[in-house]
Amino acid sequence: MIASKFEFRSPKDVEEAVRLYREFEGEAVYLSGGTDLVPRMKLGLEKPKVVIDLKRIASLTTVEDQGDWIRIGALARIFDLKQNDIVRGEFPALEASLEGTSCESLQMRGTIGGNLLQNSRCLFYNQSEFWRRSKGFCLKMGGESCNAVPGAKTCFANYCSDNATALCTLSAEIELSGPDGTRRVNLEGLYSNKAERPFEIQPGEILTAIFLPKMRSVGGYEKLRVRGAIDYPLLGVAFSFVDGTGKLAVGAVGPRPYVVEIKQPFRDTVGEAVETVLKQVKPVGNTVLDPDYRKQMIPVLAGRLVNKVMEGAK
Amino acid sequence: MERFKVNFQVNGEPVELDVRPSETLLETLRDRLELTGAKEGCGLGACGSCTVLLDGLPTRSCIVLTAEVDGSEVTTIEGLAEGEKLDPVQESFMEKGAVQCGFCTPGMILTARSLLDRNPRPTREDIIRSISSNVCRCTGYKKIVEAVEAVSSTETPET
Repeated sequence: MIASKFEFRSPKDVEEAVRLYREFEGEAVYLSGGTDLVPRMKLGLEKPKVVIDLKRIASLTTVEDQGDWIRIGALARIFDLKQNDIVRGEFPALEASLEGTSCESLQMRGTIGGNLLQNSRCLFYNQSEFWRRSKGFCLKMGGESCNAVPGAKTCFANYCSDNATALCTLSAEIELSGPDGTRRVNLEGLYSNKAERPFEIQPGEILTAIFLPKMRSVGGYEKLRVRGAIDYPLLGVAFSFVDGTGKLAVGAVGPRPYVVEIKQPFRDTVGEAVETVLKQVKPVGNTVLDPDYRKQMIPVLAGRLVNKVMEGAK
Repeated sequence: MERFKVNFQVNGEPVELDVRPSETLLETLRDRLELTGAKEGCGLGACGSCTVLLDGLPTRSCIVLTAEVDGSEVTTIEGLAEGEKLDPVQESFMEKGAVQCGFCTPGMILTARSLLDRNPRPTREDIIRSISSNVCRCTGYKKIVEAVEAVSSTETPET
């Protein structure tokens, strides 16, 4: 059960949603599919005064071909999106990451925007309030230091969106609407690089759409997890090859996807690209798998994925 | 405390309720409507034992707020049979011995029913992909997959 009390609103357009957010002076959360938010409320990680359900805003659910760009409404459901002809035809890395997200039932509820804005995760954080209180609050809960690496003053929670990793290889942009208007930024600009508060989003802003340059790509996504379904990634690697250039992204081993360009995606350059990523990531013991194993799997999955994609492209 | 008025259908019957905005669909079904077929397992949307059909699609009722389902149609395991006549998926689960402790069974059957409604002749791979949304700790899934395969061939025989 959800212990906290809140009000529930379902606005019909984005302006009304933002107005409600202001009315409750920021003590509000936006609800999309709820597959991340509702468990967080059950664990006492979110205690809003109002839940603003965005599902009745029809304009947020559509996929449109705008010529040079494909616009994906942030509330498009993962299950619908993975069957979309444009996604299947142009963006195989995204199709594979959508297929790899959780399981079919949760794909039917979860949305692409909600998947991008899911909060970062840690074995010492995604726990009940009772459990967390008994250990003492960590940095991400407003405490003094990390519980996964005792004494550390840095948060090591992992950002576990499968689809963000794939979208980064496709040079995605996002549109945000809020109290100060609408802005469009590169997806990589969404991330603060701080795991305790992973997003550069202004209070009240709503992720309304994802834009992808309309260019046919080849690509794929490889996911490390214990079970073949339901699990969050313990490591995710995406690769897309568009117009002579490859992009490799590595996710779920830090607060954001790590993205590297590969000019000629052959064995040596993949090795260099992976080295660049390995210098940046510091997986720690905050998932169900050993951090060294997760790190060592980065070159394994990257090599396997790039070979598979480029073989298929010949 | 604020209440939220919702109107929706449960197993074909209209329901009008004033709920707490924080009430989950699973709580409404079990505690108010006495439909205890959907079970609470993990309570966090991972295991699938609380699965019901929401507008025909399998949905984890433990992480859906009742306020969200206003205007929707909910089918629980209690609504699958027509009077005394069980749904073919229910018959097949009994026939093939796809039930042990029974805790996951309502969710498994509804997930399978939804798959067969959308895709009357799923491949074995389709079936496994679909029911992998639901965790079963007893059967090892083999009998469940066989039960769903058996319904698929009975409901839509190859011509």
